Amino acid sequence: MVVCLYMKLELKKISKFFPGIKALQNVDFNLKQNSIHALLGENGAGKSTLVKILCGVYQPDEGSIYLDTKKHIISDPTSSLQLGISAIHQESVMFDELSVMENIFIGNHIVKKNRLVDWSAMEKKTKDLLSNLEADIQPNEKIKDLSIAQRHIVQISRSLVHDADIVIMDEPTASLSQKEIEELYSIIRNLKKQNKSIIFISHKLDEVLEICDEFTVLRDGEVINTDLISNTNKDQLITNMAGREISQIFPKKHVTIEQEILNVKNLYKKTQFKNINFNLRKKEILGFYGLVGSGRTEIMKSIFGITKLDEGEILFNDQKISITKPSDAIDQGIVYLSEERQQLGMTGLMSVKDNINMAIMDRNSNFYVMNTLKEIKNASAMQEKLNIKVSYWSQLTQSLSGGNQQKTVIAKWLSTKPKVLILDEPTKGIDVRSKSAVHEFMGELVEEGMSIMMISSELPEILGMCDRVVVMYKGLIRDILDVKKASSEQIVKLASGES
Amino acid sequence: MKKILINRDFILFSIILIGLIGVGFANPLFVTPKSISDVLTDTSILIILALSQMIVILIRAIDLSVASNLALSGMLISLLSTVHPELPVYYFIALSCLIGTFLGVLNGISIAILKVPFIVTTLGTLSIYRGLIYFVSAGKQVYSNAFSEDFLALIHVKFLSLSFLFWLAVAVFIVIYILLNHTRFGRNLYSLGGNPDAAKYIGINENKYIIMAYSLSGFFAGLCGYLWVARYSVASTQIAIGFELTVISACVVGGISVMGGVGTVLGCVLGALLIGLIRNALPAVDISQFWQLAISGAIILLAIIINTKTEQRKEKTIMVEN
Repeated sequence: MVVCLYMKLELKKISKFFPGIKALQNVDFNLKQNSIHALLGENGAGKSTLVKILCGVYQPDEGSIYLDTKKHIISDPTSSLQLGISAIHQESVMFDELSVMENIFIGNHIVKKNRLVDWSAMEKKTKDLLSNLEADIQPNEKIKDLSIAQRHIVQISRSLVHDADIVIMDEPTASLSQKEIEELYSIIRNLKKQNKSIIFISHKLDEVLEICDEFTVLRDGEVINTDLISNTNKDQLITNMAGREISQIFPKKHVTIEQEILNVKNLYKKTQFKNINFNLRKKEILGFYGLVGSGRTEIMKSIFGITKLDEGEILFNDQKISITKPSDAIDQGIVYLSEERQQLGMTGLMSVKDNINMAIMDRNSNFYVMNTLKEIKNASAMQEKLNIKVSYWSQLTQSLSGGNQQKTVIAKWLSTKPKVLILDEPTKGIDVRSKSAVHEFMGELVEEGMSIMMISSELPEILGMCDRVVVMYKGLIRDILDVKKASSEQIVKLASGES
Repeated sequence: MKKILINRDFILFSIILIGLIGVGFANPLFVTPKSISDVLTDTSILIILALSQMIVILIRAIDLSVASNLALSGMLISLLSTVHPELPVYYFIALSCLIGTFLGVLNGISIAILKVPFIVTTLGTLSIYRGLIYFVSAGKQVYSNAFSEDFLALIHVKFLSLSFLFWLAVAVFIVIYILLNHTRFGRNLYSLGGNPDAAKYIGINENKYIIMAYSLSGFFAGLCGYLWVARYSVASTQIAIGFELTVISACVVGGISVMGGVGTVLGCVLGALLIGLIRNALPAVDISQFWQLAISGAIILLAIIINTKTEQRKEKTIMVEN
């Protein structure tokens, strides 16, 4: 291993605050040249905030950034690119309708002397780049026709064209197969040989130990540990990331699980999922674990009636039910809390009270006229139950903290008095205290007789909260395990497609 | 998708051809070279405006003020002509373009810098520019006697028995084709419309592109201001009223997605040609004037339905079957 002591990038005492949350606090981060540096931490630990600062999307509130020992201010994405920082994002930042070569050269088109775009030169260079990366992609293919692994390769080619010295990879292997992952590793090692520095974000500790040279662990916005990979092991990293005993954060109550309430049979949706069979019992918390994009959300959306199933049937209390639109599901007592609470769960410009009452307008009205008294009654009952921190009822929902927004969305759905609650990543991106409040609350709901299906990408949350877990991989159920008897290794293995 | 787009343009072309043949059976006089050349001349202004509107629609916006801009630019040069009819014609053309560009820049600034939503901005300037015509002309018309012979004659100049107006539209087509397909500016418009957030990450300055797109739209509206006045030998408060909707229809029929980032220059021209054909053919086959608007509207709706059907963005594939 080439160890080079030259510091490519230094972050000194970086802090970033959002209303109600300290996203980053006094973070020091050093990146050497020719090095693959793992950035670790649980969801919400501050990794993506740090990446956004490096990409110029956010500006730090405090602290400074040194590149090649010179101080720089990264004021916008353009200056980040000019400084040679290129990020391969988890979310798609590509142009689906444009060709591969155009996506690679976008913002950086090769032009001829007459300033017209030189398509043939770009095509040739794209071919060279892709064949260097040993990728079987045609320059003229549209991005939307590519697989996720191929999209990563296009993004890597883009950063090569920009001649970036620092490449940030945000969970690049999250939805790749084992073979694709091996190919990506060899590309990453190749980049390292070309004097690049790589920031590698991943939740898979085994791959971090395999491929990285150094690591930094963040927790709640602070640096917990930073060292050479050779000086650490998996257990230490887990302790660093979690920082507390699992039983402490998950106050699961003991309830007796009763009879079956929901049973789905052979659900099938073209290109999305197939052979989906599971049941849910009263007072049970059923976890859904899998990589991002393994089909978990898609199944829930079709059970809730947002998308149509191609085949399959749903039994509710032993009765076959037909759900073609969300209101059918709500009438049956099934509700779904979306992962994207801000886009799909609430209306930020409406008051907290109106948001809480949004789903039960018909029950709160007399002959189509809203009964404000009923609304306030329901809202205050919910507020008390969930401990939502509002200053006044007409306060706009968007002015609440992430945790209180999430509680507002939960309050909206609880107002419908559901029997089955589907939670999609219920604690994603909220601070630790709100997180444990949500967990505690889940326990109370189950005690009251509700059944919960919870999608989560955080294994500790699944292990701590659920009774059984459905493990998914690429649209198929790999197994349904009793959480008490399952090991985390077993679940991770199943979810990553290894047998 | 490229295949579908090529197909789409091809389908549109076929519809135009079939329509032409159909109308020819009903009224053979309509398909003589002379008559077709007249239809082309009549559609030229629509083609030019549709092409410039396309630039704006590509970045997920719309310019409702083009017809008012056209009328105001046309009125201002007409008023100048009443005082100084002796000025050379290119002087008037340049001035009309300049005024149009200026009005377009105002739209761009309002949207990009003042952050007034594009629909509000251009709806506002649609009224403001139209209102300014009343103000500058005191509600009076400018008749053909106010214009010099050159002013009126230029657009009737013929080359290969097709009018100057038609050849100008061809030139604009070529220029915009090159602009959108072979310059960085044009390609960045596509990326900005296709995925604005991603465009930001690669350092495309959205505000600059908004202002540029509206300036171009204004420039061509100004150019058409002269063309319209010269063609109809009259400037009034009422010219081209409501024409912006025809222009937008032409773009939509031509497959320019109002969701941004999708559409071909050829499709846009074909869309304009189809609309032009309908407008000219319906009277020729004795369809009552009252039906004409309804039929045009139905065709536009049909085009949009086809668009949404062909355009449905694919769901990500999670599971590989078998």
